[in-house]
Amino acid sequence: MALVYRLLVAFVLLFTVWELFDEEDLWNQANNALVIIPLLLRVLMIK
Amino acid sequence: MQIELIFFIAMIVTFLIGAFLLKLPISLSMMLASIAGALVSGHGIPIKHLVEGTFGYIDTILVIATAMMFMKVIEESGALDTLNFLIVRKFHNNPVLLLILIMIIIMFPGMITGSSTAAVLSSGAIVAPVLMTMGIPVAETGAIIAMGAIYGMIAPPVNVPAMIIGGGIDLPYVGFTIPLLLLIVPVAVFTVLFLGLKYAKNFDYEQFILSSTNSVDSSSELVKSNVKEIKLFIPILVLIFLMLASKIAPQIIPNLGMPLIFLISAIVGLFTGKKVNFIQTSKSAVKSTLPVLGILMGVGMFIQIMTLTGVRGFIVDVALSLPSVFLYLGIAIFIPLFGAVSAFGSSSVLGVPFCLALLGKNEIIVAAALSFIAGTGDLVPPTALAGIFAAQVVGEENYFNILKKCIIPVIAIVVWGLVFIIFANPIGDLIL
Repeated sequence: MALVYRLLVAFVLLFTVWELFDEEDLWNQANNALVIIPLLLRVLMIK
Repeated sequence: MQIELIFFIAMIVTFLIGAFLLKLPISLSMMLASIAGALVSGHGIPIKHLVEGTFGYIDTILVIATAMMFMKVIEESGALDTLNFLIVRKFHNNPVLLLILIMIIIMFPGMITGSSTAAVLSSGAIVAPVLMTMGIPVAETGAIIAMGAIYGMIAPPVNVPAMIIGGGIDLPYVGFTIPLLLLIVPVAVFTVLFLGLKYAKNFDYEQFILSSTNSVDSSSELVKSNVKEIKLFIPILVLIFLMLASKIAPQIIPNLGMPLIFLISAIVGLFTGKKVNFIQTSKSAVKSTLPVLGILMGVGMFIQIMTLTGVRGFIVDVALSLPSVFLYLGIAIFIPLFGAVSAFGSSSVLGVPFCLALLGKNEIIVAAALSFIAGTGDLVPPTALAGIFAAQVVGEENYFNILKKCIIPVIAIVVWGLVFIIFANPIGDLIL
């Protein structure tokens, strides 16, 4: 189940990162980066 | 003046400067406010605490993101359009019932995602043309959508503010369904009838049929064939089944968790209606939720720094020492007003201490009522997630025109919520 959870987080992370690179507004990019931080740390099981 | 109050003022002023003067996204304004609070209190820039704060809502953001994927899939597959069409076709002769059913449609995405934005952007966008075809003016249509989205956000099964308040007082999110329904249903019915009934009596059904044969489904066969109608709604049935199955038979079907349930239902939806590009739909879903997800990250940081600096304890202390008259007045005024930061933030910062101050009363009823009142925060600018998105959906440039129409329903929410808080024990004895 932990693997499924990590895959699910990675799935959401993938689209968030994709959206970060598609986004042209700097502030919105910063907003996306805020969301990426916990998702990335959770996928890597650092936190 | 207590030192924590100074820290709190520094945070609020920084937030206001960021949001209003610099026009930064709310999430970044909240992050800056958190950093300002930490700096003023002598903690420097506590990266560890800022990151820790973002984890407060990681499960919530997974639920919102995957729920939005599910909503987008059933929207693209034609299920929502068809549901809308079928309801209007069946109940156009009865405007009261029609309006109530439209309200339920608006609420539905909010009910399953716990996000008012999801409701406004999905079902709100779908019913807006229907409401306007019924003759309801733009401002009233926007108000119905905004209020419906808030009711959806607070209605079971997913009510994030109640979860946040419960988390703050070690109260599991169990037994909330009936109290929440009793809180929401009467006010939701009142709202939609108050705002829409006098116009809905002039509904031109023929005009609706003409306009919807293009938008409902180009094939229009969907509404002719009962088999296809049922097939369209399979993802919704799967969702309901998976939500209930783990509760009814936990030994057979394990609790998969809301994000996985939404994802499975969304995948089922790929095969039940119009062709859907899952990758593009998922990307679009994440894109539309990112502002809300960012706000949740900001709220998490804000609350973490409030805890670190003692501001949260200070607010709890103030709430606990208020005489009961001021306590109820505080609930009625400050919980909705703090929604200017976010309804979720309001639930955490004010909902928890007010719930603690009312500990002698039935906690489930009190937490449900506080979450109901906190929901109105989604109408308060500058964030006003439900209201501003609703204005965009109906094409109203001045959000305050919609806000004005929401005043009476908001008063109804606050009064009804307070009634539940004051009579929490007898109500709890009656229904729990």
